[in-house]
Amino acid sequence: MLDPSTPIGMALIAAVLPLAGAVLAGLLACVRLGRFAHLPAILSFASASVISAVVLAGVAEGHDSLSISTDLGTWFSVGRLNVSFAFLLDPLSLIMLATVTFIATFIAVFSAGYMHGDPGYARYFSIMSLFVFAMCLLVMSNNFFMLLAGWEGVGLCSYLLVGYYYAKPSAAAAARKAFLVTRLGDVGLVLGIFLLWQVGGYETNFDAIFAHIAQYPPASGTITTICLLLFCGAIGKSAQLPLYVWLPDAMEGPTPVSALIHAATMVTAGVFLLARCAPLFVLSPEAGLIVACIGGATALLAGFLALAQNDLKRVLAYSTVSQLGFMFLALGCNGVISPKVAVVAAMFHLFTHAFFKALLFLGSGSVMHAMGNVIDMRKFGGLRKLMPWTHATFVIGSAALAGVPLLSGFWSKDQILHGLLEAGESHAKYHTMYFGLFAVALATACLTAFYTFRAYFLTFWGNERTPPEAHGHAHESPAIMLVPLVVLAAGALFVGVLVDPLTHWFGHFLERSPSITEAHTGYLAHSNMIEKPHEFSWFVAGLSTLAVAVGIGGATALYRRGGPEKVPPALKGLYSLSLNKLYVDETYGIAVVKPAEMLATTGRQFDGFLDAITRLITYLPRLIAALLRPLHNGLVQFYALGMVLGLAVFLTVVVFRSAR
Amino acid sequence: MFNIETIRLLVLAVLFAPVAFAALVAIAGLSGYRVARRVASLGALLHLGMTVALAVPSVFVLMDRVGLETKAIKAPREFQPIFVPGDPSLDSGSYETTWNLFTVANGPSELPPSAIQFFVGIDGLNIWLVVLASVMTYIAVLVSHGSIRERAGGYYAWLFLLQSAIIGAFLSFDIVLFYIFFELTLIPAFFLIGCWGTGGGRRDAARKFFLYTLLGSLFTLVGIFGIVLTNPTPVSPNSPSKHQYMILANSKGQILFPKAGPVTFSISKLMQNVSTWNRTHAEKLNRATLLRIEATTAFEKANGKDPKIVQQAEAELKRADVEFQTVKTDRDDYKSLQYWLFFALIAGFVVKVPLVPFHTWLPATYSEAPVAVTLLFTGILAKLGTLGLIRIVIPLCPDMAVQQGLPVFGFLGALGIVYAAFCAYAQRDLKMLAAYSSVSHLGLLVLGTFTLTAEGLTGAALHMVNHGLTAGAMFALIGFLAERYRTTDMNQYSGLIGRFPKYAFWMFVICLASVGLPGLNNFISEMLLISALFTPETTQAVGYGFGVAAASGIFLSAWYTMTMLRKVFFGPLLLPPQPTAVPPRDMQPHEWVAFGLPAILCLILGVFPQPVIQSMRSDVNIIVRQTDEARARLETEKSLSR
Repeated sequence: MLDPSTPIGMALIAAVLPLAGAVLAGLLACVRLGRFAHLPAILSFASASVISAVVLAGVAEGHDSLSISTDLGTWFSVGRLNVSFAFLLDPLSLIMLATVTFIATFIAVFSAGYMHGDPGYARYFSIMSLFVFAMCLLVMSNNFFMLLAGWEGVGLCSYLLVGYYYAKPSAAAAARKAFLVTRLGDVGLVLGIFLLWQVGGYETNFDAIFAHIAQYPPASGTITTICLLLFCGAIGKSAQLPLYVWLPDAMEGPTPVSALIHAATMVTAGVFLLARCAPLFVLSPEAGLIVACIGGATALLAGFLALAQNDLKRVLAYSTVSQLGFMFLALGCNGVISPKVAVVAAMFHLFTHAFFKALLFLGSGSVMHAMGNVIDMRKFGGLRKLMPWTHATFVIGSAALAGVPLLSGFWSKDQILHGLLEAGESHAKYHTMYFGLFAVALATACLTAFYTFRAYFLTFWGNERTPPEAHGHAHESPAIMLVPLVVLAAGALFVGVLVDPLTHWFGHFLERSPSITEAHTGYLAHSNMIEKPHEFSWFVAGLSTLAVAVGIGGATALYRRGGPEKVPPALKGLYSLSLNKLYVDETYGIAVVKPAEMLATTGRQFDGFLDAITRLITYLPRLIAALLRPLHNGLVQFYALGMVLGLAVFLTVVVFRSAR
Repeated sequence: MFNIETIRLLVLAVLFAPVAFAALVAIAGLSGYRVARRVASLGALLHLGMTVALAVPSVFVLMDRVGLETKAIKAPREFQPIFVPGDPSLDSGSYETTWNLFTVANGPSELPPSAIQFFVGIDGLNIWLVVLASVMTYIAVLVSHGSIRERAGGYYAWLFLLQSAIIGAFLSFDIVLFYIFFELTLIPAFFLIGCWGTGGGRRDAARKFFLYTLLGSLFTLVGIFGIVLTNPTPVSPNSPSKHQYMILANSKGQILFPKAGPVTFSISKLMQNVSTWNRTHAEKLNRATLLRIEATTAFEKANGKDPKIVQQAEAELKRADVEFQTVKTDRDDYKSLQYWLFFALIAGFVVKVPLVPFHTWLPATYSEAPVAVTLLFTGILAKLGTLGLIRIVIPLCPDMAVQQGLPVFGFLGALGIVYAAFCAYAQRDLKMLAAYSSVSHLGLLVLGTFTLTAEGLTGAALHMVNHGLTAGAMFALIGFLAERYRTTDMNQYSGLIGRFPKYAFWMFVICLASVGLPGLNNFISEMLLISALFTPETTQAVGYGFGVAAASGIFLSAWYTMTMLRKVFFGPLLLPPQPTAVPPRDMQPHEWVAFGLPAILCLILGVFPQPVIQSMRSDVNIIVRQTDEARARLETEKSLSR
């Protein structure tokens, strides 16, 4: 079953290792060895990432389509719904697997230091391992139900980890919110899955469905509906408008959890889903446009909201939402331009983003660790002397996120911008819209650079200040926390330039994924475009560099000397809007949550009413009895009269009937 | 491999052993509650052992049933119970019994007499329910451990009697026997609520439960007799010595339609009869319609020709018309009768399930009854209703189930999913929340059932087991708090993770199973039920609305469950005043079993559900075959009448 001689067998072993880690960590807690619980987690992640790297190296060469699927038996199968434990190894899943396990390894190492001495140490590592396992399951799945298993699995683990500090009411609320908001999206996903099952010839495996759809294309309205329903799931999981509200609140968990959620697991699932379903989205330009518009709107809005946040982690959280918006912008171009460009750009950004976002979160975790769990930037500042390593790695991460040229974030963002521009220049149905989106993306890039460096300056520059919670002995974090920072910083610096712009390895490898080749075939069939070689455009690069320069320049000008907040008086209104998160949570509370609760209360009252009606019916016999009771008055004369009358009526009827 | 006679005895043992346990425990109860509960838990454990011993060979036989695909020509049209006690044949079984309880009338000597029989047996639909009943009773006995101290002997005795009656109804293949067991459940339930209930209104609740469900099932009784009387065994029109269920073609190719023979009470035979009579009527109608069309065309062609021919054609047309009208009246009469019988039959079951809006007995009952009894009610007693739908209503009124099922009862199910979820959210009491959550899940079950597809019926049969496990376990877990603090008011609890971490773990597992997390049991059955709503059979009939309602259940169940978990398990610690001097402790040994057993079963059923599905397949296909035929019949009639 798990045959290590085949690539997929090895990949499955890599996927299952974290599950073993989870079980082992749980068992360690049972035998009161919870303080060693980090070992199974770290070891399983590390070996999983080594294994996936080996698999990757083994299949990296070559140009043919790469897809190895395996079927480990039936999960459930009834009538037309046949679901098996089906797994798929292709460049898409392999890159995700390698990224997830690699990043998770270093987050686990960092956590071992960060969570040291916590009473829930074993619980933490057990759930974290389960989290990584669920993500591996998600990316390795070959049908929608296995995908759903991983999908809900990451949802559960994020719920448990966000609510890790269970006694904190805010953590409890955030955990519930995360689970429920993503679940709302899942309703759409499930509907989409079953609609697809219906029109896809009752197939459940990806390759079979896509082949069936390619052969018997359904009506364009149907395919658009399906795409949008699937996208609903992605909106929830990947925190896009209007369901992004859970992600900023999810900061309530331990900081490494945020790193995990934002970088490797969870939020990337939606991007992966759309990349996996690229052959469907290629068929629907309307769905593509909506995906791109939602991505663009989210990117811009989240970028705006990140401007005025005082909580360092919250800035980073909104930046994740914004960067995910970028990925969906790219995915929305799929079909307008070749998926070989669009999907690859999205996946490339996901890949580079994983490094620098994990780095930034771990960096902020390091700050938080030193500041006695305070993360409000108003309470500290000027930490660059105090925490030189954290500072150095944080600045690299910030630069990469901002998209400073030559760093990894620059390359992936450049691909997305280039893709958008190309989509605008194409002759597809809604191509002019993509020009607008290109402008939005540029503006967002500028905002990104600004808020990232604002946060950086507020934390590390200016006068050295530490909060009272740090008890005056704020210090640099121990080596176990710094090593992951350094490794991830190296990644943020070099991984972008190494894997794609110089070698084009990433793109060429990903193109061998059947999802993308099939989508490409569909794209060629639907558009009569001649495939243009993807070239580096100095124009796009120049524009994006300019945007970044403006953003960083603005941040430097305002926050070079650290805090406190300086807002130009003209922008006070905008500032307060951004600070209050545009009152979105409050609006949702009034528009959705409260009405639902009121509906529930009404429902309960109505139920009492229903019960009253039932009771009323039970009084009916008594009522009839009460009506009839006077007849039995005990007077013989009355009975005799009744008899005579009755007899008379009876006789009349008989006579009339026989006479007729 | 195994001795069939022994297994037949085992069927009887599983059915009647609880009665013996009841007597034993009632006597043991005289020497105190400690003895009573020990005897009771040993008895329940023994019963579980026997059920497993019965289930293992049954499942092997059921999984290997061959040739039962819907499309196979020789596929049976009736339930084929195995291991029937009193089966005259020794080996694989003739799916009949000779044990007559009450002979109504002797028909032709070649035919078996019209008799109410003691006809019990195992098939794919009931074996898992029997196992479930055994498991849940064991858990119910375990969770009563600390809370029942007064008249414990009587309490456990009634519990066992309830179990016996429920298992009897599960196993019955005689419609009257089924009804007797179905009603017998009321007596133990009445006393358990009325005497050992926790609230002040327990007597009122017991009375309400008794009367409400009795009223529903009286309609069912009428329906049962209607069905029995209108579907006698068909006999061949030529030779009275032969009885068969097929419409015959004689050697000349003429079709011979059967005549009515003696009545039968066996559900299997009734299924065959219903199928034969329906096909007879439909076939006659189709032929008459075709003849009339032919005559009409002949008449139109003859127009303007020789007047003799015209006259002849006219006479022919008139005759065809008369023939058509008679046959049509016959068919319409049969159908309108079926229509009423369908609603009568289903009445008792929708109350028992319960389906919104017939659920109003449930809140009072669940809040007043002891936790263990609530557990049995939602875990297994509710399954009598859903099994009744699958075992009796759908097979015996297939045409009406196709025509009225989804628009009427599917709609109520869909309504129930949403409505009960909202009600559940607004509850302040854990027991009430679990009760409404149960109603919501059962709404999905009923909705899926009436899609009358293999996916939906299998999903429903599987969901019965899954829902029984999770909803039952949920009540068992609530019993943990009720026993320690004498209250299940949510506002009095907070932050229980810190106080009772082990208990919280099991609660989370069961809650997650209940919201349909993949890898746990409910996910599988919910996916099957929802998939059934996306099959062309369903979408052509009612569109996608029900599918959307069912899928919204995915969110709604998470909504109220997660809110409950946040209130009760997260946040700062808050506990009601403790009634005893010693602070309550986390999980006791018997609670490890009571919570761990269902949780582990949830996990197993979530990862490896296929053996269960496989063992149900042949029986589900039997029903699907009936309903597919009914659907085809109705389609043909519709297209011919145009």
